[in-house]
Parts: sequence; C-alpha cells; structure tokens
Amino acid sequence: MKGANIGELEELILLTVGILYKEAYGVAVMDEVEKQTGRSLNISAVHAVLKRLEEKGLVKSRMSDPTEERGGRRKRIFLLTASGKRALEDAHEMRNQLFQQIPKIAFQ
Amino acid sequence: MTKASPPKWADRFLEWYCNPSLLEEIQGDAHELYGRSAKQRNRRTADFLYVWNVLRFFRWSNIKRSRSHPTGHFMMYKNYLSVFKRGLIKRKGYSFINVFGLAIGVACFLLISMYIRDEYSFDRMHAKADRIYRIHEILQSDGIGERSASQPFPVAEALVNDYGSQIEKAVRFFNFQAPTLALATIDNQKEFNESRLFLTDSTFFDVFDFPLIEGNPQKALNTTHTIVLTETMAKKYFEDEPAVGKYLKFQGNMDLLVTAVMKDIPANTHFQFDGLISLQTYDQFYDPRVPQVWHWYWNPCWTYLLLKDTRDAPVIQASLPAFVKKYFPAFVQNDVTMELFPLTDIHLKSNMDYEIQPNSSLTTIYVFASIAIFVLLIACINFINLSTARAANRAKEVGMRKTLGGQRIQLVTQFLFESTLLCVIAVVLALIMVVTVLPTFNVFAEKNIDATVLLQPFYLSLLLVLPLIVGLLSGIYPAFVLSSYNPITALKSTPGRESGSLLRKSLVVVQFTLSIILLVGTGVAIDQLSMLQKSDTGFSRENVLMIPVTRSPVAQHFMSLRDEFLRNKNTVSVTALEEVLGAKHQVGNYLFEGYTESKPFPRLTVRHDFTKTFNIPMVAGRDFSEDVNTDDSLALVVNETFVRQMGWTSNDHAIGKKFSSKPNHRIIGVTKDFNFTSRHQSIRPLVMELNSAPKGFDVRIKYMAVRISGDDVPGTIEWLAQQWKSQIPGWPFDYFFLENDLAKLYKDENKMSKITMVFSGLSILVACLGLFGLSTFTAEQRRKEMSIRKVLGSSNTDIFFLFSKNFFGLIIIANVVAFPLAYWLMHEWLRSFAYQVNIDLKLFILSGLIAIAIAFFTICYQALKSANSNPAEVLKSE
Repeated sequence: MKGANIGELEELILLTVGILYKEAYGVAVMDEVEKQTGRSLNISAVHAVLKRLEEKGLVKSRMSDPTEERGGRRKRIFLLTASGKRALEDAHEMRNQLFQQIPKIAFQ
Repeated sequence: MTKASPPKWADRFLEWYCNPSLLEEIQGDAHELYGRSAKQRNRRTADFLYVWNVLRFFRWSNIKRSRSHPTGHFMMYKNYLSVFKRGLIKRKGYSFINVFGLAIGVACFLLISMYIRDEYSFDRMHAKADRIYRIHEILQSDGIGERSASQPFPVAEALVNDYGSQIEKAVRFFNFQAPTLALATIDNQKEFNESRLFLTDSTFFDVFDFPLIEGNPQKALNTTHTIVLTETMAKKYFEDEPAVGKYLKFQGNMDLLVTAVMKDIPANTHFQFDGLISLQTYDQFYDPRVPQVWHWYWNPCWTYLLLKDTRDAPVIQASLPAFVKKYFPAFVQNDVTMELFPLTDIHLKSNMDYEIQPNSSLTTIYVFASIAIFVLLIACINFINLSTARAANRAKEVGMRKTLGGQRIQLVTQFLFESTLLCVIAVVLALIMVVTVLPTFNVFAEKNIDATVLLQPFYLSLLLVLPLIVGLLSGIYPAFVLSSYNPITALKSTPGRESGSLLRKSLVVVQFTLSIILLVGTGVAIDQLSMLQKSDTGFSRENVLMIPVTRSPVAQHFMSLRDEFLRNKNTVSVTALEEVLGAKHQVGNYLFEGYTESKPFPRLTVRHDFTKTFNIPMVAGRDFSEDVNTDDSLALVVNETFVRQMGWTSNDHAIGKKFSSKPNHRIIGVTKDFNFTSRHQSIRPLVMELNSAPKGFDVRIKYMAVRISGDDVPGTIEWLAQQWKSQIPGWPFDYFFLENDLAKLYKDENKMSKITMVFSGLSILVACLGLFGLSTFTAEQRRKEMSIRKVLGSSNTDIFFLFSKNFFGLIIIANVVAFPLAYWLMHEWLRSFAYQVNIDLKLFILSGLIAIAIAFFTICYQALKSANSNPAEVLKSE
C-alpha cells in the first residue's frame, strides 16, 4: 500500500521522535537530527514533517507544561504511536532483509 | 536581566498569518531558537534568523484559513435551507406577505421595464438604423409658423446631388397629407378607404430593412404604377390568391400593379403603413408648369437620409443653412431652419407638427420608470421591516448558533441566503403574474408585447440579477442587525425587545410618502386630462361628422351634395375644411399691411358656413359669404390672437387691413379665439381662407364637416349615406365623429393616467401588506402588555387607540413629507403643458385621507384583536 510508505526524512524524524521519547518537540527534534546525522534542517521543515506524520497516524501529540524560555508557551510533545512503531520496525526489517540479500562478493 | 526579544513586526506578522491552533508551538519554537541564537551569537543575527524562520513558516499548511471546510459549507447551506423551509411553513402569513408583496413589486417592475424596453426598441430593427436621419423643416417667424417633420418635394434630390459624398440614399414618403386614400380591386368587389398608404421612392428598400415575402426589393418600386402590399393587405384584397402580378384601383382612376408582398410592419416603428406606391407614379404632381418657388414651399414629403457615416451628420447639419439659402424661395429663406433628426430618436424625442403618426414622449418613460422604482422600493422596504421586526423572534436561534461556534459572517451569509431565496420565490411568482396579466397590460398600455421577450438574454440576466440585488438590498440590514446580537443577551433576553424600531418607523414613513405621492400624482394627472379633454375649446365638437374627401369626386359635386344633405331636418350645417378642427392646421405665408416681407402663419382653408358649423362666434366684421364672389381668394378671416399679434388696437381695427401685395385683398372678419390644435399648445394666430374651387379638394380641402342635431343620429347618418351613394357612386362613405377623433389627441396622457392609477393602487396594496405584517408583529409582541393593561382596567377602546396611535403618527408624518414633494413634482410635470390645471389642494387631503383610511383598516384587524383578547388566556401561558 502506497500510503503506508514513509519517506527518508519522515523515517529519520520518526526515529528521532522515538529516541527523544517524551522530549520530542520541534526544536529538540531538529537539534537531535543535527547531532546524530549532521544534517541541518530548518525548524519549519521539521514542523511540516511532524504534522504530516501526525496526519498519517504515526505519531500523536500533546501539549507540555508552559516553559519560561519560550515566553510561557507550551511545547507540542510528539510520541510514537503503535502504528508508528510498526512503521519503524517494518522499515528496519525491510532494510535488514534487503541488506542481507546483498551477495558478499559485492562488498569486496 | 533584560531578555532580548525578537522583532515585534515579525512576531505580529506570524500572529497574523498563522493558524491559531498551530501558533503556540510555532511561536514557541521560534522564540526558543531566537533565545538560543541571541545567546550564542549577537542580537542582529538572531533577529535575522528569527525573521527567516517566520518567513519559512509562512506556508500553506500553517496559514490561517476559514474554519469551515468546503464540505462543511455545503452542509451549512443544507441546514440554512431546512431552517428557511421550516420558518416559511411555520409563519405562513408572514411568508405570504413577504413573498406576495415582493412579487407584486417585482412584477410591476418587470412589466414597466418591458414597456420601456419596447419603447426604446422603436425603429432599431433596421441594419442601418444608426445612419438613418429624418430631416425636419422649421418655418417660424417670431415663434409663429410650423415645425414640420416633412419637407418640400425636391429637397431629397437636391441634398443627394449636393452632398453625395456624405449621403448614400434619400427616401421620401408622401400621402397627399390625406387622411385616407381609396383602394379597390379592379372589379370593385372590394373597396376601402386606406389610412396607411404612402407613396415612396424606389430607394425605400435600400434604406429600410422591411423584409419581403414575395417580389424583388430592387425592382418593386422602380417603375410607375406599382404598389407593394403588406401580407395583411394582400389577404384583405386578394384573400388567398397570390397578389403579385394583380392590379388594384387607386383613387378610383388609376390601376396599380402589385409587385411585391412584404411582411407586416412590426408594431415598434414610428410610422405604420399597409402599402407603398411608387412615388414616380405621381411625378405629374411635380408639375413643371408650377413655378419652382412653390415646389420649394409646399412641404408634404417626409424625407429620410441614409448617411455613409454617422459622423457626417454634424457636417451636413452645419451646411444646411447654406442649403436653405441656395434653394428655398426668398420669402421664406430667413425663417427656415432645417435639422437632421436620428431615426432611432424619433419615437421618443420628436414632437413636430405633421408627425406621420403621434409619437411617445420621454416624460412618459420617466414617469413610468419612477413608478417602477417606487413600487419595487416599497416592496423591498416591506421585506426589511418584516425581517427586522421578526429579528427578536430569531434572537434565540442567533444566540444558539453563535454559542455553537457560528461565526458572524456565517450568520450574515445565512440571512442573506434566506432573503435571496425568498426573492427567488418572489421572482418566480412575479413571472407567473407577469405572464398572466400581460395580455391585459398590453390592452391598456396599447402595446403588443409577447411573453417570450422574457427569454431574451436581457431579461434572463435581469431575472438572475434581480433576486440577488433585491435579496442583498433588503437582506443586508436585517442580516447585520441579527448577526450583531451578543449570544448571551440573545439567549437570555425575552423576545419582545424592540430593535431597529426607529429605522422601521422611518421606512414605513418612506413607504407611505411614496404611496401618497403616487396617489396625488394620479389625481393631478386625471384632473389635467379631464381639463384638457372637457374644457371649452371655443367651438362645438359634438354631433359633427367628419367625412374625408381629399381627391375624391366630391370636388365636383360639393354644392349639390351639400344641398342634398341639408334637405334633412336633422342636418344643421355643412361645410368643408382643410384639417380636423382642434387637432391640426397648415401654415401659409402672408404679407400683411405694414410688413415688407411675408411671414408664415397657421392657416385653415375652409368652405362657407365654417363658423356656423362649428359654432364659432364672430367678434368683428363678417364671415365669408356666398353672396360675395370675391371672398374666395380676396378675403381673409383671422382670430383674435392674430389681431393681438399684429399689434392692432382692436378687433374692429383689423377689418379692412390689406394683405398680399394686391390692394383689394382684405381682412373681412375676426372670430373669437378657439383651440385649433390640441390644448398642449396655447392658441396662436390663425388665418382662415376660403377656397371654393373644385381644385381645392386636391390638397387643400380634406374633410367635409356635417353638423347634425342630436335627434335620431343613426337615421340621419343612414340618410346622409344614401345621399352620398346617389351623388358619388363608387366611392365609399366613410366618416368619423369629431368628438371621438379629438379624444385621441390626449391618448398619451390618458394612457399615462391609467397606468399610474393602476400602479399607485398596487403600491398602496404592497405598503398595506407591509403595514399589516408589522402590526401583526407589534400585536404579538405587546400581547402581554395589553393584557396587563386590561387587567388593570383599560377599556377595549383604550387598548385600540393605544395600539393604532403609533401607526397613525407615522402615516401623518408621511402625509406631511409627501405633500410638498408631490406638489413640487406635479408642478414640474405640469410645466410642459400650455394649459395647466390648478393643483387642487382637495386632492392632497383626499390622498392623505385615503392613505389613512386604508392604513386604518389594515391595522384595525390587529388592533381589534388585541383589544378583544382575553387577558386570562394570554397571561396564563407564561
């Protein structure tokens, strides 16, 4: 099914959301991606992807308590959903499967 | 510690565009990043990055949009529709008043617009209509003379010769200025006096586009003795046999070959005809032995020019004075002005002497247009009033919708949607009304409008736009008032809170002001009309038979016919004259004593006993006498105005004054003034000339006039007809009563007063519907109040007066506003008449009383109902 597929950036951010568990919000995700992969994203791109993931039902969100550094504004904390986890597992499994089918000779 | 904050404007921009549900996280993240970069780098970079981020957030998914999604929109409309339907059914009376009133308004508007559009469609069916001009000749000295729609015979040819580079074609129409011309089949089986026959040039079909059914337009009229008939005429004379190739007898002595049959002339042309005879046939008329001056003086030919380019019209107009100098006889040169008049303007704007057929006028159009707008306005006001009055009842709905998240704009949309929908229903109803009453309307507007014109793009778009405009116009105020309610007060407050009542009252005043103006206008128009028709014109018109006799055998037999007519004891007097007395006159140039050159004066050529037949008293001198042979051509009779115009001291003074250049020509008598034209004009100087020669019947003498006593009219006419048959065999005896013919002079006013009467009646009806609706609501709202008053001891009459008091106040204010307005409007309208009726103050009082009375009966029902209600019944329902 086409709709179940997720793109590369989506997968990356979905993974990051998983990593950050309970601390995943826009800026944190952006920082984590940069730290882990060296890719510098614009915050608006991160928001767009997170929104898309939420629409696909792969993450859910809730609002955090207000924080002082944001001028009393709340964060939107993203959490993996069951289908988000499955999507990650599927992607991971597919990669492994594919990876293992590469003949050894190809690496030499 | 002063915390750096991002640039205000960028923040505001973000807040402006960002979807509120996303704003918090977006703004939060942006601020967090700002704080970080402000700490790590400098402030300026942080500002820049902040702005950059704000700009990057500016994307479709983040932008604030209308909350309602497309599907939701549609669903809301479904909801509006069902709410509308329920409301419509729940308050049947209210809906009926609203829709019916609006429908009447729209129907009136549609009917009048159809009338006006028809008036403007005149003469536009010709492909070259914009290039066709009629040429007018104004022959006036000191404002006396004629403003003629027709021209001398040679004008057309001379113009084409002189201005060939601008004028493509010219065409003339001629009918001997005769009221009727005789036409018969060769075997005389069918003979009729035809009033709509014209002689015309062969260029006719080049200039005008009247389609032929049979025959060749190029050849139909280019030889002598040919005639083109309309379809109806061909049927009339030849029934179902083919007409082309057959002969018809013209004026009893000339055979004409039918060369073509044309479609019937559409009703919207400024002149109507049944047949066209080639003008070449009468080239003999243009007799070379007659001196040139007279050809250029007598002006019986309606002349139309087809220009090569409309832009040439001013060029030709500018060269016309030179043209007059070149051709017109010296004695009129200074008094003649010629003007080009566009064909398409003739019907509404031309008002010359000798129009082929009477035209309409712009005043009528303006009057009708204002009536149409008045009635529509009154209907719209009804709508506004009833909707705002009902606003209180809908306050709860508004409150509920707002509480459930309805936006103000949605409520406005809803109410506009409802009013537009109501208008659509009203328009549909109006269409049904229009189609039903159109035949009746056609009869009294003297039109022939087909209901299928409503399918024209103009009306289709009008029908589409009208509900929108009326719906928006009448819905916009209620929509904004209703949607402005604060949900809390709207839900809390008890219905009965009056809102917009001042506006409502002023609108009622406007409605009744308009209605009263229409009533007064109708009254004044009727008064004016009856004044024009009934007042003394200075001659007797009753029991006078007019018999058209131009170019008939009567010329030879006038004296014997007259003697035979007079043998009957019921025949009072017999004469003959040039035109229908009181309708029309001709103009002649006369040189009077004390003047160096001749001047044009209105003229009537008459036979003996003219003054006797029409009961016109002489004030000085004597009438033409059969005992004085020289009266014919050597004597003139004038009217009193003529004497005054010449500056002669008294009527007696005028007697014996010389005219013409010969010494023995003299004025022999002065008559009392009489209206020899319609009373649209005041009395002007008039010269009466005797012409007793048989040749006079060629063009000068057009009618025999027979005055009969009022006894046994049918018998007398029968007797006259018999004498006619024995004296003038083979010539139809046609006659009409002068009185009936003169009534036609005021056709326009008659039509107008009839139409204003009907529409002002309707406007009152619509206004009353509104008042009724309004009083119903007031009654409902004040039910408890009235009941409590009753419980506390008010009598029924008290309640009744209390209830109706408010409305009467409004009607009285409307009267006060309407009177001066109506007076001023009527005064302006009357200024176009030479004879004006005095605006009768009684009319105002009458109109005011009518308005009050009708309003009273309207409110009465509700007032009585609330006065007679049982307070226990009303109050228990709390």
